Amino acid sequence: MNDDDRVFKALADPTRRHLLDQLFERDGRTLGELEADLEMTRFGVMKHLRVLEEAGLVVTRRSGREKHHFLNPVPIRLIHDRWIDKYTEQRVSALVELKTRLEETG
Amino acid sequence: MTTTMTAPEVQTTQVYVILIKASQEAVWEAITEPEFVAQYFHGARLERELKSGGLYRSHSPDGSQLWVDAQVIEVDPPRRFVHGWRSLYNPECAEEPESRVSWEIEAQEEGICKLTVVHDQLEQSLKTAASVAGVGWMTVLSGLKTLLETGQPLAGPSTT
Repeated sequence: MNDDDRVFKALADPTRRHLLDQLFERDGRTLGELEADLEMTRFGVMKHLRVLEEAGLVVTRRSGREKHHFLNPVPIRLIHDRWIDKYTEQRVSALVELKTRLEETG
Repeated sequence: MTTTMTAPEVQTTQVYVILIKASQEAVWEAITEPEFVAQYFHGARLERELKSGGLYRSHSPDGSQLWVDAQVIEVDPPRRFVHGWRSLYNPECAEEPESRVSWEIEAQEEGICKLTVVHDQLEQSLKTAASVAGVGWMTVLSGLKTLLETGQPLAGPSTT
């Protein structure tokens, strides 16, 4: 599995997307804070967090006795650059071309 | 469970991690050598002294504007580089106190490095925090990765 596969796999689950949204709203949450919002065992939340960490979407950092979870937006950005930009750009330029052609003939 | 888009709080500790296919030394050079920095950091002209307490200052590409004026905090080649940060290029941010940027380079398997950038101590600098968040740092890191992996700066709209 390459890096992109890991990111797509991590994003293909509603609980994991919810965890990312939580960190997007407020970064640096502890496991306790993250699980408070979910109807799921601590173990279940940890499993999801591990998948997100392996995909590089979540980074943990210790501060004293607490482990904080941070959203790392970089892999999503790289996927955006690689997969989204490419296709949306083509579509936009096709529309621009159509507009130019219509205006020329019109 | 709902997926709502609530406006995020301003993050006063920001963490960015990127994997780069390059040696630790190459990544170290790219973040500390001015000729590399200019190619992915909005063309910034960097002056720095690689010692704790040394200057860390950058100007706009034409040299007319002071962008960052801070100090080097920690130098541990090729693993860790920490310096102060001030966003002097933005008049509102320029009034805010200095924050801190830490670059950590860890070697992974197969010639890959994990680069972690932590921008923190932003509690008194919320405008700066908002302005560098997300796209700001990601554009820089994406450009750095492209430069190291292809030898070419990132072209196109993403560099602006």
